[in-house]
Amino acid sequence: MDYLALYVTLKLALVTTIILMVIAAPVAYALAYYRFAGKSFLEALIYLPMALPPTVIGFYLIIVMGPKGFIGKAWGMFTGGSLLFTFIGITIASIIYSIPFAVQPMKAAFSKIDRRLLEAAYVLGLSKKATFFRVIIPNSISGIAAAAILVFLHSIGAFGVLLMVGGSIPGQTEVASIAIYEAVEMMDYRAAGMMALSFIPISYAFLLLINKLNEDSRV
Amino acid sequence: MKLCRIVAAFVLIVLMSSVSAFAEQKLSVAVAANFISAFKEMAADFEAKTKIKVDGTFSSTGNLYSQIINGAPYDLLLSADEERPARLNKDGLADKPFVYAKGQAVLWSASKDFCKAKTWQDALKNEQIKKISIANTQTAPYGAAAKKALEKAGMWDGLQNKLVNAQDIAQSFQYASTSAVDAGFCAMSATAGAEGKKGCFFVIHEAPEIIQSACILKRTTNRASVEKFVQFLSSPAAKEIKVKYGYR
Repeated sequence: MDYLALYVTLKLALVTTIILMVIAAPVAYALAYYRFAGKSFLEALIYLPMALPPTVIGFYLIIVMGPKGFIGKAWGMFTGGSLLFTFIGITIASIIYSIPFAVQPMKAAFSKIDRRLLEAAYVLGLSKKATFFRVIIPNSISGIAAAAILVFLHSIGAFGVLLMVGGSIPGQTEVASIAIYEAVEMMDYRAAGMMALSFIPISYAFLLLINKLNEDSRV
Repeated sequence: MKLCRIVAAFVLIVLMSSVSAFAEQKLSVAVAANFISAFKEMAADFEAKTKIKVDGTFSSTGNLYSQIINGAPYDLLLSADEERPARLNKDGLADKPFVYAKGQAVLWSASKDFCKAKTWQDALKNEQIKKISIANTQTAPYGAAAKKALEKAGMWDGLQNKLVNAQDIAQSFQYASTSAVDAGFCAMSATAGAEGKKGCFFVIHEAPEIIQSACILKRTTNRASVEKFVQFLSSPAAKEIKVKYGYR
């Protein structure tokens, strides 16, 4: 069994989840509490990766992250290296691919909080920042956790985008989903079977946890 | 909060554990799909002799080529043609290419009845043959060679609705060996493996011999090791492996 590929998958999913939750929280906050011009257009744009084929995302990422693309060029100037076919490259791809799965549940969780709680916080003199950390987060923690788990699972399952942007370099960009595909291609069914089997309990356990969190938030 | 700490510890362990474990010397080789089995044997042999680890990334030559021009960090390309290494050399991305193997396209089937026909052309004309796999004719040199042979035989247009496109030559063989298709255009090297021996094959003499070039990529950071591996490719031990897999 290819432990290295499983490790890369796990690392990618963790890094993606951590970074994305930090980026997505203010976005979800803005979408939940503010009204501004073009909001519905922005929201649709944020959810777009969910509705696009992974190959479309992969194609555009190759264009912008390649040596001639503007992100790839800037990256090359600072680091002298390429962004495609690196772990950082697939992390960026994975973050973009999973944005909707972070923003949507968090926005829903934020919107569900009783407005009166927030008003009470403001009346009692809490700043917006303090309200966010001391009222909003504790009251939507199960929704936030659900978002994190969804992002984690979605990153574990990514395939097409990562194959296009990362190729399949062992220890760098060869994630388990790609390793399984390659093992099948090489007719190493034993290796493919072992890896495939290891996915099922992990994903199932996390889904159970999401259900549990959703139930808790309803009470 | 206890749960938080456990999660945080888990995250830290995963993120930190990488650096030490994989720091040893390592080569990254882009390998054309027809050469997978031979490469794996060679890599294992080379590793045992030199303690230099050799990792392979396997795909069609065309796919690997486009990865390389987009900056993929390989040390060496084992291509399934002469053309792409030459182009990389011309564009200043690779050293002068050299031929490391010569391969042959075959038509393989999991069913031994298939080879009772006199020629491969007759075998394909059989009504029972509904699906035939072929590697991508644009990106896989073995697919391109098979296409040329079919064109020479005047069968290319007539077979269009029976042909199933595979990503690369390894997948073409996978389709054939799982009987997902009735027969598949494969590399001679596939017929030497355990799976390959279970079926039968025709040698496609009409397909041009496939001259496989390799080139060291200029961006390599392990020049000494990669040169050692290149030398190993023409050693008697490596030649023996090549012959075993039907390369000349």
